[in-house]
Amino acid sequence: MLKYSIKRLARSLITLIILITIVFALLRFMPEEGYFNNYEKMSPAQIELGLIKMGLKDPLYVQVGRFIRNLLQGDLGVSYRYRVNSPIARIIAPKIAISAKLGIICMAISLPLGLALGVLMARYKGRFWDRLGNAYIVFIQAVPNAVYFIFIQLYGSTWLKIPMLYNENDWRTLILPTISLALPSISSYAMWLRRYMVDETNKDYIKLARAKGVPNTTIWFRHVFRNAVVPIVNLIPGSLLMTISGSIYTESFYSIPGMGGLLVDVIKRQDNNMVLVLVVLFAAVGIVGLLLGDIAMAIVDPRISFTKKEGSR
Amino acid sequence: MLNNGDVILSVKDLHVKFSLRGKVLNAIRGISLDLYKGEALAIVGESGSGKSVLTKNFIGLLDKNGWVDSGEIWYYGLEGGPVDLAQYKTEEQWQGFRGKQVAMVMQDPMTSLNPLKTIGWQIEEALKLHQGLQGEAASKKAIEILSDVGIPEPERRAKQYPHEFSGGMRQRVVIAIAMACNPQILICDEPTTALDVTIQAQILQLIRNLKDKYGLTTIYITHDLGVVANVADRIAVMYAGDIVEVGTCEEVFYDPRHPYTWALLSSLPQLGIKGEDLYAIKGTPPNLFNEIRGDAFAPRNPHPLKIDFLYRPPYFEVSPTHKARTWLLDPRAAKVDPPEIIRHIRNIKLDTMDIKAKNAAEPTAES
Repeated sequence: MLKYSIKRLARSLITLIILITIVFALLRFMPEEGYFNNYEKMSPAQIELGLIKMGLKDPLYVQVGRFIRNLLQGDLGVSYRYRVNSPIARIIAPKIAISAKLGIICMAISLPLGLALGVLMARYKGRFWDRLGNAYIVFIQAVPNAVYFIFIQLYGSTWLKIPMLYNENDWRTLILPTISLALPSISSYAMWLRRYMVDETNKDYIKLARAKGVPNTTIWFRHVFRNAVVPIVNLIPGSLLMTISGSIYTESFYSIPGMGGLLVDVIKRQDNNMVLVLVVLFAAVGIVGLLLGDIAMAIVDPRISFTKKEGSR
Repeated sequence: MLNNGDVILSVKDLHVKFSLRGKVLNAIRGISLDLYKGEALAIVGESGSGKSVLTKNFIGLLDKNGWVDSGEIWYYGLEGGPVDLAQYKTEEQWQGFRGKQVAMVMQDPMTSLNPLKTIGWQIEEALKLHQGLQGEAASKKAIEILSDVGIPEPERRAKQYPHEFSGGMRQRVVIAIAMACNPQILICDEPTTALDVTIQAQILQLIRNLKDKYGLTTIYITHDLGVVANVADRIAVMYAGDIVEVGTCEEVFYDPRHPYTWALLSSLPQLGIKGEDLYAIKGTPPNLFNEIRGDAFAPRNPHPLKIDFLYRPPYFEVSPTHKARTWLLDPRAAKVDPPEIIRHIRNIKLDTMDIKAKNAAEPTAES
């Protein structure tokens, strides 16, 4: 188990280094103006001097090495255009905190609700709860979220008088964005769990469990749910980590100063350094999420074995 | 073989129907059958003849779209007197019956164990339900049963997961689970179909040993007549949702009376003659969505009687243990000779009986 985790970790690191190199190299093709906040007013000599001073004229491998070394020391570099000369870490840290807070609250609500709905739908397949759940899932998946986001905002703020615009000191301002984020999340958890559970109920070992006289409810939880939840466990760490990337739509809808949309912003402003840091950050989160997901799955599924396969007889 | 005349399960004129795509399928068409305590009954027949459906009624595992339309299934194994299983409708009624009275071994051992639970856990689950054992006692008993079904190093194996076992070993585990229920009747639904030929004999031997050791009544569902010859005391031949012939193993093998049984035996590769084409039954089984008139096998019978197409034959008794549903046994019927192969087997039988009779007449030094 530990050996496997370390092996996977090593592989993830290699992936990350390759990724950093590629993104780094690609960004060097971007116009030089992305490194200066007053590019238009500078003379070619000044630009040249500035680039040399920032080390951008060094060979690429030196630059990559330097970037990674700085990264390891927690130095993400500075922003050139988005917020002039301020350290990137200081720009994104509070944004990450806000997005993660919202995301985690949303997950804490949608995971239990989604799983409960999924169990209910699988248990009463083809009957009322299943139909209701299906209608909900189809609605959420088929209708663009802008539509129901607007309704949530409209009814929430005008009828229920829930304050709309984000205010750090007022927890009520989190209600509407949380609902907006949780609705699709619940539907997808429910959809997948229902599907996995229905798959499991048709398996032979469930028939055997019934044949040996295990009561129905026990079968549903101890056998069906337990087996169906494995692939979902795999997704949880990734979704949890991905909360730091925020949600473009919800955050802009409620003026939440989170991470959502930041990448688009810095690309538009041609802030090369910030683009680099954000792309690397999101990629790292994705890689770590997958890694943790696989480890989590290995914990709940004994079939995933990390030691050398023992010959079965 | 029928040492004990006690009937443990009695099926009376059972009709089971399924609703499929808006149509009604007559899966079981009026079966009557007695199962005796301690016997091994084999139910043979081709796919779709209703073998599994029939036995699923004994354990309440009929698919949701199926139902008992009429008939009775009396179970005599309970202390409180006989119960009619055909009247059991809800899960609650079956609770405590399933496993405890009737247990089942299924076809494919590769998929019939929960992949996420240890073998020991899965056996203990049954022990807790049916034998009231808990904790240490349950795990001890589980290990005991594992060794009973021939799994080496049971203490270590109990802690392992199904994927660490081979197919034959998994089938032993499935049997162990069934034994943990401590049932009266064990239904083995094609217990060896998914196994290697070399393993098949071992598994059959195991089931037979357990049957003898615990006085189990066993029902084998199979389409492998080789299996039947090895394990069964009695054979019921099913065709199109009906039992067409039933008798002791010897009676059905050596003196079959129903044309379908003839055809079935004729198509045994073991009885084929080298160089000649193996006999195959022509046509296809009848569509059970339709009402069947007369003898269901008549359209595929090479020498049908006229009456076969008009009226359904009743059972004719050949001997107290042997009966068949064919008009050929009616005294008024024209004489139809069984195919050559069947006559051939019959002669083999008569020869061996002669030898036996002679042996009995002149006892050897051994006996």
